[in-house]
Amino acid sequence: MIRRGSIAAIIALSFACFASGEAFAGATVSGTIKLEFPGGKKPGRKKIQMAADPVCAGKHPDAPARSEVVVVDDDGGLHNVFVYVKKGLEGEKFDVPTEPAVLDQQGCIYKPHVMGVRAGQPITVLNSDGTLHNIHPKPENSDEINKAMPKFMKKITISFANPEVMVPVKCDVHPWMQSYIGVMEHPFFSVSGEGGKFEIAGLPAGAYTIEAWHESKRLGTMTEEISVADGESKTLDFLFKIKPKK
Amino acid sequence: MQEKVYGYWLPIDISTHGATVDWLINWLHVFMVALFLGWGVFFIYCLVRYRRRANPDATYDPIKGKIAKYVEYGVIVVEAVLLIGLSMPLWADFKHAFPDESDALVVRVVPEQFAWNIHYSGTDGKFGRTAPEFVSADNLLGLDPDDPDGNDDFNAINNLHIVKDKPVIAHVSSKDVIHSFKIPVLRLTQDAIPGQDIRIWFEATKNGAFDIACAQLCGLGHYRMRGQLTVESEAAFQAWFDEQSGAADEEDEFSF
Amino acid sequence: MAEHAHGDHGHHELPFWQKYVFSTDHKVIGIQYAVTALFFLLFGFCLMMMMRWQLAYPGQPMPWIGTLFSAVNMPEGIMVPEFYNQLGAMHGTIMVFLGVVPLAVGGFGNYVLPLQIGAPDMAFPKLNMASYWVFYVGGVIMLASFFVPEGAAQSGWTSYPPLAVIAPTGQTWWLWGMVALITSSLLGSVNFIVTTVQMRAEGLSFFRLPFFVWAQFVTAFLLLLAFPPLEAAGVMQLMDRIAGTSFFMPSGLVVTGQALDVSGGGSPLLWQHLFWFLAHPEVYVLILPAMGIVGEIVANNTRRPLWGYRTLVYSIVFLGFMSFIVWAHHMFMTGMGTTISTFFQATTMIISIPSVIILTAFALSLHGGSIRFTVPMLFCLAFIPMFAIGGLTGLPLGLTASDLHLHDTYYVIGHFHYVVAPGTIFALFAGIYYWFPKATGRMMNDALGKLHFWTSLIFMNGVFMPMMFVGMAGVSRRLYDQTQYAYGAQVQGLTAMSSWSAWLLGLAQIFFIVNFFWSMRKGKKVESDNPWQATTLEWATPTPPPHGNFKDTPRVCRGPYEYSVPGASSDFIPQHASDNGQVDQPESEPAPTPADDD
Repeated sequence: MIRRGSIAAIIALSFACFASGEAFAGATVSGTIKLEFPGGKKPGRKKIQMAADPVCAGKHPDAPARSEVVVVDDDGGLHNVFVYVKKGLEGEKFDVPTEPAVLDQQGCIYKPHVMGVRAGQPITVLNSDGTLHNIHPKPENSDEINKAMPKFMKKITISFANPEVMVPVKCDVHPWMQSYIGVMEHPFFSVSGEGGKFEIAGLPAGAYTIEAWHESKRLGTMTEEISVADGESKTLDFLFKIKPKK
Repeated sequence: MQEKVYGYWLPIDISTHGATVDWLINWLHVFMVALFLGWGVFFIYCLVRYRRRANPDATYDPIKGKIAKYVEYGVIVVEAVLLIGLSMPLWADFKHAFPDESDALVVRVVPEQFAWNIHYSGTDGKFGRTAPEFVSADNLLGLDPDDPDGNDDFNAINNLHIVKDKPVIAHVSSKDVIHSFKIPVLRLTQDAIPGQDIRIWFEATKNGAFDIACAQLCGLGHYRMRGQLTVESEAAFQAWFDEQSGAADEEDEFSF
Repeated sequence: MAEHAHGDHGHHELPFWQKYVFSTDHKVIGIQYAVTALFFLLFGFCLMMMMRWQLAYPGQPMPWIGTLFSAVNMPEGIMVPEFYNQLGAMHGTIMVFLGVVPLAVGGFGNYVLPLQIGAPDMAFPKLNMASYWVFYVGGVIMLASFFVPEGAAQSGWTSYPPLAVIAPTGQTWWLWGMVALITSSLLGSVNFIVTTVQMRAEGLSFFRLPFFVWAQFVTAFLLLLAFPPLEAAGVMQLMDRIAGTSFFMPSGLVVTGQALDVSGGGSPLLWQHLFWFLAHPEVYVLILPAMGIVGEIVANNTRRPLWGYRTLVYSIVFLGFMSFIVWAHHMFMTGMGTTISTFFQATTMIISIPSVIILTAFALSLHGGSIRFTVPMLFCLAFIPMFAIGGLTGLPLGLTASDLHLHDTYYVIGHFHYVVAPGTIFALFAGIYYWFPKATGRMMNDALGKLHFWTSLIFMNGVFMPMMFVGMAGVSRRLYDQTQYAYGAQVQGLTAMSSWSAWLLGLAQIFFIVNFFWSMRKGKKVESDNPWQATTLEWATPTPPPHGNFKDTPRVCRGPYEYSVPGASSDFIPQHASDNGQVDQPESEPAPTPADDD
């Protein structure tokens, strides 16, 4: 099964390639993101109370849908970590793709769970469920959006004017539905997928601060300094540890 | 044979207090219709009898209107009887005659835009502490992960399961805006007000699945803030309750 | 309209804008109010007709009209819930604050009250002008709010916090608009009170005042005393929205999964108390002027005195007083305990008594009359049973036990619309048909008027009667799509019936609109200054009344409804006629100069 995270990563990567237009010349930073298991045991995922909306429950006939807050492989590969260049690209300008990113509401779950887009890039929001959703991102730097998507409305387009890590997105009708969108000024970001793998390609030569962001406050963010030359490929791994409560 | 649940008048009543409500509503309407018709007959009579052609010259002096006076006294008496005899006792019952918590099912109803969080205390019968800072998509109630009372608590979103013939005490509050917890078949409406914990009680007398609605405009999803009330036998309830309490879940959950 | 008699009082001619735009003449201001309010009534009605499409055919594209709106509000012609909520909130606000009150008080009050008390103008003409223009600004703000990002206010006309505080920008505009409208009402009410107390003609004692004047007088007190709390509340909500205060915001709110950044500690119920402390008297602000109009027209068209004039006056004064202590019956379901709810149930039952008395008095007035079924009379006759339905259906809502089921359902909608729509608005139509000849010198067309009346009566009931049953079935108000609930789907047919009636009711108003404009230019000219052969003073002026109103200061010799007095030469004796039935005209005094001319 192909994990959603990796699709997101591929999408993000392809944007990165097209946008920079010099992928062949740039450096590549890739690596694996892992989670140290609490007590040596892989943490489980909570069941989602899909019974709240029979339409949602009907979309998961075989197995109950589970929380996507911490999705981790048996070997510790952590999904849905947003990895991006935090520092080092100040003042650089990159074209904003006009091709929309896609956020789908499917089985009352956001697909992808975490994604990156460019500031000003259109985002197509799909409603594949045939029930009421409302798309309610709460950015701090851009205008708040809160639009109902009744069952007849299959598609709307939104965008965020200004960069922000991360914009939380919610559906208020199905309160478990949560996703995050990283709104970036540049195309150098990635979302970890299967095996916790990520890749940022086409990076111009230079010294950068790379940040890995996870939505759980108990995982938080990690940063690394890295410098790359043209055409170089570098590996960067992150190991998230669960912080003690408070 | 399936009994008709909803129709063009009051829906079926499955609550212990609903009979009084229905009695009041029905007799009030009989009274209203009688008053209106009686008065209407006089009205129509006047229009016909005293039209210009039938009565070219009006009378200066007013009619005595004794009957009208008696009708008015009658209205006052009926209103007083309904108020003192029916409405006030029912309200007092609803507000003060709470069943003992040990005999009742106690739930917290904490709606948000646009869903009903129904907080069950789990097997220990104790509600875990909740606070806004713990709220996440995984923890809609904001249960404190450090509070052991909360470990077996569960949130049955949009699903209120109760036991037939067992009183229910609900603590109604709200996470964000004012909602109103309405269950037509229980003849129940209670505003859910953020910052307040309002205690209500009711008892259902019939098994079945019924709609829970929001009666107070709460935003764009108000119309779709639908929950389901399931009234069931003790055994069926217990089975559902155990499953929800998390005992049956194969994955070892971790609270992030 | 309101053409002035040309200089026959020796007034210098005022330039156009001073005469018709920034006029201080109560009649011009009254007409300005009336025309603006009629526009808003039509506009608010259109909003409702759009909502009714979504209610009747949820999720289906609105034919033709749907394509005129932006993709934000009506993608592919289908209304989105946000837009539905905007229409709902603005329909309520516009109908109440920009339609009915300005027409009943600003329009009829301004035009008729000074005439009926024999005054040359209002006590404070400039304040009067300010009142209209502040109202106008409020109306413009409300209309403009549809065009701000995310549209107009969408938290209902009641604007309950916290929802209203976290709502988009339109709500801020709504609050500014309300501040303007309330200010306007306050300016108007002071003026009405002073005018009534100070400027009555000689001999016009309080118990010789026409019932309409009494109604306006009591209404003015309600406006004066009830509106300031809402103005304060409006400013407080404004501060909550733009200045970070928390008057109505409790601590610990979590909105869309995120803790809300407010200082907290406020109470959402405080708003409801302040709001309903205004909004319940407001109901009587809507209904009292209507009763006043009905009183005038019933007396005139039965050709006999109103039954129990003093009782009627005492009743409306009592009604006015009681209206201040029933407000919390709107809040029975907010967790109210037994003590408070007992008080408010009792006051609510008590306030029904004067309403019953007033209706009874109107009905008894018919007995022994010689009834003329003129168009204004038809509307008044319909007002009586329609208002009765509205009043009676208030009973189950006023008792907590039955309110437990009916609270915030369509039953409530049906109830108050019966009071306001076929109640008040019918009386206002009656008033327009009745005083139109005084204001324009022409009668409105009788056939069109009757057509308007009968179609309106049928369709009004077609709109609101089904709502009683929809509410009885348990359907909550303000639902964008009631078929989401099993009991809502069950009564969807009734809702569709309401919608069709509403659209037909809309068509029926074309008779009125055509009649109004056609009669203004082509209507039959009145043959005398008193075409209805009425007794009250407004008919003693030239037609239309010139600046300054009366040729000679009238002197009042009797009560307002001396119809069919035994032994009199005609079946009516005007208030200013002397005992022998002749109009007494003192020749000595010149016409008073209106205050704005100095």
